[in-house]
Amino acid sequence: MATNLPDSAIPNPLTRTDLAAIRNALSTQLATRLESRRGETPVRREVLVCAGGACVSCHADSVAQALRDEVAGAGLQDAVRVVEVGCMGLCDAGPLALVVPDGVYYPMLDPEKVQRVVSEHLAGNTPVADLELAWETPEGKLLHSREVPFFARQQKIALRNCGVIDPASIEEYIAADGYRALEQVLFELEPDEVLTVIKRSGLRGRGGAGFPAGLKWQFVREAVGDVKYVVCNADEGDPGAFMDRSILEGDPLSVIEAMTIAGRVIGSRQGYIYVRAEYPLAIERLEGAIENAWRCGLLGPDILGSGHTFEVEIRIGAGAFVCGEETALMRSIEGQRGTPRPRPPFPAQRGLWNRPTLLNNVETWANVPPILLRGADWYAGIGTQRSKGTKVFALAGAVRNTGLVEVPMGVSLAEVVEEIGGGMRSGLPFKAAQSGGPSGGCIPASAADTPIDYESLQELGAIMGSGGLIVMDSSTCMVELARFFLEFVVDESCGKCPPCRIGTRVMLNTLEEITAGRGRLEDLDLLESMAAHIKGTALCGLGQTGPNPVLSTLRHFREEYEAHVVDRRCPAGQCKALLTYSISEELCNGCGLCAKACPSDAISGTIKHVHSVNQELCIHCGSCLTACPTGALVGH
Amino acid sequence: MNERTGVEERQRTTGELPGFFGTHEPLPADEIRPEVWDLIDQWVAAHPGGRERLIPLLHRVQEEIGYLPFPVQEYVAQQLALSPIEVYGVVSFYHFFTTNPRGRYQLKVCMGTACFVRQGQRVLEAIESLLAIGIGDVTEDRLFSLEQVRCIGACGLAPAMMVNDEVHGHLTATEVRKLVRKLRARARRESAASAEEEASGDEPA
Repeated sequence: MATNLPDSAIPNPLTRTDLAAIRNALSTQLATRLESRRGETPVRREVLVCAGGACVSCHADSVAQALRDEVAGAGLQDAVRVVEVGCMGLCDAGPLALVVPDGVYYPMLDPEKVQRVVSEHLAGNTPVADLELAWETPEGKLLHSREVPFFARQQKIALRNCGVIDPASIEEYIAADGYRALEQVLFELEPDEVLTVIKRSGLRGRGGAGFPAGLKWQFVREAVGDVKYVVCNADEGDPGAFMDRSILEGDPLSVIEAMTIAGRVIGSRQGYIYVRAEYPLAIERLEGAIENAWRCGLLGPDILGSGHTFEVEIRIGAGAFVCGEETALMRSIEGQRGTPRPRPPFPAQRGLWNRPTLLNNVETWANVPPILLRGADWYAGIGTQRSKGTKVFALAGAVRNTGLVEVPMGVSLAEVVEEIGGGMRSGLPFKAAQSGGPSGGCIPASAADTPIDYESLQELGAIMGSGGLIVMDSSTCMVELARFFLEFVVDESCGKCPPCRIGTRVMLNTLEEITAGRGRLEDLDLLESMAAHIKGTALCGLGQTGPNPVLSTLRHFREEYEAHVVDRRCPAGQCKALLTYSISEELCNGCGLCAKACPSDAISGTIKHVHSVNQELCIHCGSCLTACPTGALVGH
Repeated sequence: MNERTGVEERQRTTGELPGFFGTHEPLPADEIRPEVWDLIDQWVAAHPGGRERLIPLLHRVQEEIGYLPFPVQEYVAQQLALSPIEVYGVVSFYHFFTTNPRGRYQLKVCMGTACFVRQGQRVLEAIESLLAIGIGDVTEDRLFSLEQVRCIGACGLAPAMMVNDEVHGHLTATEVRKLVRKLRARARRESAASAEEEASGDEPA
């Protein structure tokens, strides 16, 4: 069995023969990571430890170290290799590890569990049953590891390497068919043929609007100019979306390879990746990947002896949501305030420094190499009639399995939320899902059977957006949710155009009145007419789509708005000003923290005895709710 | 290195400003370590180019001193041949840049949607009432500063916050109280340790 060469031992620069040799040496090892072979005693095992952002946050690095120490302590260092890989998707179960070829997942690892995994499974060849990832189906059947619907129901194209390869190893990327597509583009296909494949595949931009990628490439290829740029938009600003981050952390080279391919097709020598400052781990792994690619001659002059030159630089954002808008993003790269400008001219004609510029988001780029390798027909065979391929969703919120999932376009929301996501964590009924973040809208549970694609979501008043899917149970107030998103838009508005700067502020004020219990029925009409004006007149996508969360909640949950303004009641029990507070006699331990926190002396009681709320003095601020350590204080 | 103009020299030595932000109080120049000016000089020399260097340079400087006081902004403007207002315009536009000093422990409460759905607001309120500071403020002892951030991507741990670079998840008001107590104790321990070190370091001399 081949071992990983230290990266320093890779010949520099690589030739095509070297690429073939690396693939030959490592492909079997990589293949075993993708399939389960239980029951046999392998010559060599690997323990893949998820080192995605969420797992690192819960100390996956120390779990990996503990595994290495235990493996060495058991004298297994030649039989077991510990590999840190990208995001496996099931963020809720972190720190998560997968033992291959057995295909056994171990969730929520800690040093004690690590000890048992090493002694019982790695040394003793018996998977640790009580630690293995398991899932009970509604029918009461127990499923394990890869059979768990969260993994079994996915189809991974953009995430194909995430959780499989070591993102720091260029060899593993190469062995996982990496740079094979670039070889085709440099040596076998004409740029126009590449363009035809991308167009025929039906790939649409995964950043939000869903513009056909092949068409965009064609515009930039046809644009006149000797200097052109390729840009990757990794300014993933939608709160609750983290698929781009995971791709950059888990498979940075696929983005770099795709950009190199586009450089050849459109005639560009320079690429930029614009990534959020909030993603330090993604930046670190990208920097490492770019350095590796340079060292192997896969970036720089004369790539693989083809004469094609391409370089990639990282530009780090500085926390402005509007910079995800393409014209604002380019201004930010130029060192300006990130304010958008009217289009046309589109970036394809006048982009970065007024040169033709091809801009795609991370997930779009990650789809490019597999499309070239497996063909346009294969890709176009997945998905719905107008939305091809797969889509990565970041599942978060009230759902049980928080994490990253990739499914074919056209699956239903119910499938994603109930089967893959495992339903509601709280056991309360599923109420709605917000897709597309602050630019999107909510999909009510009643529409959960609609197949998800660009068009169907638009009809529901939501958008695909970048793929953030926030799941809500019945405890979320939809008016408060709309207020939350609008506050975000107001905060992030760049201030350049009045509809967005002033209009969204007026809408926010109105919503604040409603959630504070001072709303009037006319306010709902005002919200609708303001929204229509802003949508029609704002300068950029941020402003034009800003009112969407209000419009879609008004459309699907109007009765909730009416309950707030007519009955002065918050059905979900979230709007503090509309709640009546009381103290549960069973749960109150008489600590007195609530009385201390109350600014209006509405809570009375003696220490170690049950306290009570004087409703006449209560100003509905909710301070007591925050202060109560036992959950005895309830608002309803 | 090229010769300095009189203005630059004066600014570097006294913190006095050539005008634009000069009347702003308090003037934090005396807090700025002299190495910062050299850092800016060296960075500019190592990165030839134009205006596109501004944001990367501001990142580098803020990484070093934690915030971007006005004298530093002016110096950056001079070195990149921009006007101070162009630099200030960029600093004030982007949330990531701050002109306020930060605390030893920077509490960054995630206000992403997942944390919102799981009651992140309560975490923020708990901190505000506990430390008696608002968003963007720093406690008087400079121990804690409070910010809200957009999605730190730890949605699985929601509601979550970062203390400097460390993520803390599944927070409740009680957890927050414990954490603040722990950080205060840690700070006391560390300053006691460094005081001891200083004292023992003095002895041989």
